[in-house]
Amino acid sequence: MEYKTLLKENLKQHKGSSVGIFILTLLVTAVLGIVLNLWSNSQVYIEREIRRDGFGDITAWVSNVPDTGSLTDSIKELTEVDRIETQSLIFSNYVANNKESDSEGQLITFVPGESRYKFFTNDLSAYSQDITQIEPGEIYVSPSMVSMFNVQVGDKITFPIARAGKDVVFTVKGFYEDPFMGSSMIGMKGFLICEEDRTDILDMLQNAGIDALARDGVMLHIFASDNCQMTFSELNGIINQNTSLPEYTEFVHSRDAITGFMLILQNAFSGLFLAFVIVLLFVVMVVISHSISSTIEADTVNMGILKTIGFTSAKLQKIQLFQYLLSIIIGMLSGFLLAVPLSRGISSATITSIGVKIPTKSPLLMCVISFAGILFLLAVFIIIRTGKIRKLTPIKAISGENDIVTLNSTKMLSAFGTALNIRLSLRQLATGKRRYIGAMIVAILLVFFASLVGRMDSWLGSDGKGMMDAFNPADHDIGVQVFGNLTAEEAEKKVLSYTDITDSYMLAMPGVVVNGIDYTANVISEPERFHILEGRTCEGDNEVVLTEFVAANFGISIGDVVTVRGDKGSDEYIVSGIYSCANDMGDNVGMSCEGYLKIGSDNPHIWCYHYFLSDSSVKSVITEALETAYGGDVHVHENTWPGLFGIISAMRALLVFMYIMVFLFILIVTIMTGSKILSAEQKDLGIYKAIGFQTNSLRMTFALRFGIVAVIGSIIGIILAAIFTDPLVSTVMKLAGISNFSSNPSIGGMLFPAVTVIILFTCVAYFAAGKIKKVDLTILIAD
Amino acid sequence: MKKILIKGTDLCKSFKQGEKNVMVLNKICVDIYEGDFTVIMGASGAGKSTLLYALSGMDGITGGKVEFGGEAINGYNEKKMAELRAKEFGFVFQQTHLVSNLTLFENVAVAGYVGKRHNAKKVQEKAEQLLVQMHADGAKDRMPSQVSGGEAQRAAIARAMINNPKIVFADEPTGALNKANSEEVLNLLTELNRNGQSIVMVTHDIRAAIHGNRLLYLEDGNILAELSLSAYEEKNAKGREAKVNNWLTDLQW
Repeated sequence: MEYKTLLKENLKQHKGSSVGIFILTLLVTAVLGIVLNLWSNSQVYIEREIRRDGFGDITAWVSNVPDTGSLTDSIKELTEVDRIETQSLIFSNYVANNKESDSEGQLITFVPGESRYKFFTNDLSAYSQDITQIEPGEIYVSPSMVSMFNVQVGDKITFPIARAGKDVVFTVKGFYEDPFMGSSMIGMKGFLICEEDRTDILDMLQNAGIDALARDGVMLHIFASDNCQMTFSELNGIINQNTSLPEYTEFVHSRDAITGFMLILQNAFSGLFLAFVIVLLFVVMVVISHSISSTIEADTVNMGILKTIGFTSAKLQKIQLFQYLLSIIIGMLSGFLLAVPLSRGISSATITSIGVKIPTKSPLLMCVISFAGILFLLAVFIIIRTGKIRKLTPIKAISGENDIVTLNSTKMLSAFGTALNIRLSLRQLATGKRRYIGAMIVAILLVFFASLVGRMDSWLGSDGKGMMDAFNPADHDIGVQVFGNLTAEEAEKKVLSYTDITDSYMLAMPGVVVNGIDYTANVISEPERFHILEGRTCEGDNEVVLTEFVAANFGISIGDVVTVRGDKGSDEYIVSGIYSCANDMGDNVGMSCEGYLKIGSDNPHIWCYHYFLSDSSVKSVITEALETAYGGDVHVHENTWPGLFGIISAMRALLVFMYIMVFLFILIVTIMTGSKILSAEQKDLGIYKAIGFQTNSLRMTFALRFGIVAVIGSIIGIILAAIFTDPLVSTVMKLAGISNFSSNPSIGGMLFPAVTVIILFTCVAYFAAGKIKKVDLTILIAD
Repeated sequence: MKKILIKGTDLCKSFKQGEKNVMVLNKICVDIYEGDFTVIMGASGAGKSTLLYALSGMDGITGGKVEFGGEAINGYNEKKMAELRAKEFGFVFQQTHLVSNLTLFENVAVAGYVGKRHNAKKVQEKAEQLLVQMHADGAKDRMPSQVSGGEAQRAAIARAMINNPKIVFADEPTGALNKANSEEVLNLLTELNRNGQSIVMVTHDIRAAIHGNRLLYLEDGNILAELSLSAYEEKNAKGREAKVNNWLTDLQW
């Protein structure tokens, strides 16, 4: 009964703290609930859907295969292979909403009645069961086409099938879920068309002969036999060694790799949000710690009295523990419940970026384990922090020994001279530092995290240059690839009519087989342009550079020898260095032209001319001019890719979300901390008023204290971010194949999070100090 | 003819206690004169502190008018009131009420800064000088929690005096002090008054009250009686004490 009475009274007396902790816990668990929900569901769902859709352990995209049947038969004969399923398709570039694709599209034939694909309603809010067949002229696209090309139902997509304007135009009829390449992070895109349209396109290709731009192709879904224990690379190597597959391969991906591509956005942002949750959890602990200290400080006398009437320290500690746990548990439950509709909202909002509708079934077990872990952590923390109750003796508590304020160095922080408000604030900080340590730690954590995300954002850049530089083997402003009769010189002249070309080089990206495994080779005319991380670039015709990931895959390093096979033959190459290129999640190698031409055939159409422009602002104008002048005979790309906008948008959304959370946390922390400080300083405030201080001046002094604390915290936060951002983010980025993350934010970029946090702390503290107006001087009256 | 410093007319102060309306000041009319050491006496709950805070503008009134220098101050906004407290009024409280995180010296000087009567240097000089005068200079660099009650109260008087106020209000200034410290504080106040400082002091201690030259007795929110005395001198203390005692006995104190 005594617990109930005191608990009830404590909750009433400290309802501000209880509400504050409830809100903070609610926010933390809601974010954690969303992260767990989306992360867990997307992993399970994408893996399940890829299997359901019939994608093999390995999928090989092949083109111009003279006899698909005999190729699949030869693969099937391998003991390591259980079966193969095929899907016919046509490779073709495409133009949607006047934007040319960077990667080829795959026109996949939809078999009427097949249940492989799920279709969405036009507003993407649900699945549609009505679509059983596709009519000629209609096309179904992935929802990520909305974020990449702003495609809507009814829009036209043009596929240049052959030169001389032999295009096929489809009307977007609707959207389908593509768990294999639906994410905006994946350049290649699948489009569903009907059999009639495929037949028509094949006829066009046959008639076009050498003028054909599109290619007939097949997706080979290769399933490993049950007893095959090989890795993807080993299986790929066996198939390449024993069949003619490498002759027709466009690219090969394992199920795991494609799952990784599909989940890259969710995993990256789940990781960031999870890091944010950890930061916020620390903030909650800081707030609880401060609240406990203030409560004990304010209730010291009462605790002393309770001890004199027989309450033990353990009982008093338990009451505190119950009080906080009650707010935390209610906050957690509310946060968990709130996470459900929020997850649904986020799942719907991200369809156009990730291409699939992530289910939002709460991962109950995972949530329960996580929340129980947090609850346990907080309970232990509260028990430790309330431990000081044990040190209170009744007499010590009642006599108020804890109120003694001492200051060792009065000279340093003298309250004299000019800027009285600042000096008074400094003195109040120096004498009550315990009260402000919490706010300072909160400032450190928030500035650190905001700076970390800000540094990532500045690395990414407003146009995604950072990301593009990481994905490209070498920098450039614009890339031009010519086909048919168009010559590179002619295209270059067109470029020069707009601006000078300051530098240029050639790049081709043919497929090669390295030590038996398919990779893309970045073949460059100026190998010194590769982003070398270790060793040196490939200088002779017998050297290659590998990414960290390929080197790790083979377990080789600089100086080792690899066998590279192209369409002409194979040869041995010495690994001269490790370079950075995140294309295909880092699964690529770098070669010089001389090196590649020993094993691969030359063709003017494989080369893309990369230019550095004197005036890079005319990139878009040049792109448009080239496309208008030469149509399907030219492929132009800037240093960007449509999926990039998804990342930039997600990063912006993260920044907005983060600053909203930062604001909410500062608001709650400052109001909670401020209220405790104000109630502890009631008498001092009364005295200041009695000697002539105005409310506004006292509010300023109060706000300044938080401002000063935020300045100190922000400086530490900025320093920590400068030290830890690159190593921390690099570790995460490596998962996406990016190994050269290095943030170099501008001064403004570095200061922005700090200035925001300082302003927020100061303004919220000024707002919270509005209570000073209500401080009545009768508080000083004796009777 | 003495000059009126503060004029209180029909001062009322009431508050709700449940359903009941409790009248603490009941239409009190009182004048405070320049140069006087006015003492307000009365039993506990008589309303003496309430009257002091009403006259000094520290607390609002529910009726009547308080004039200072011929101007009604009970309608002042916060800014004007703060200015009045900073420049014209000085306060000494029973619990000393020094700012807990400032040294004694800083407590005095900060009030001087707010008063803005002098520049920073002069304020510091005056604070030093007042602390010497109040015999508190030995503890000037200590925090309030590190000094005795007497030292703290003497510093509080110095703080009240830093802006040369027209009047000092003292609410039971010896209430929390031992006999020796009480005597010292009262002597300091008497000394200040002797030098022309107007003082209004609330006390229920006869030995404190005899330091005043005008005694007001409050009962149930009304001024029941007034006693005038000559200026305090130590040699007359016993006689004054007897006189005040008799006066209070007549009032059934």
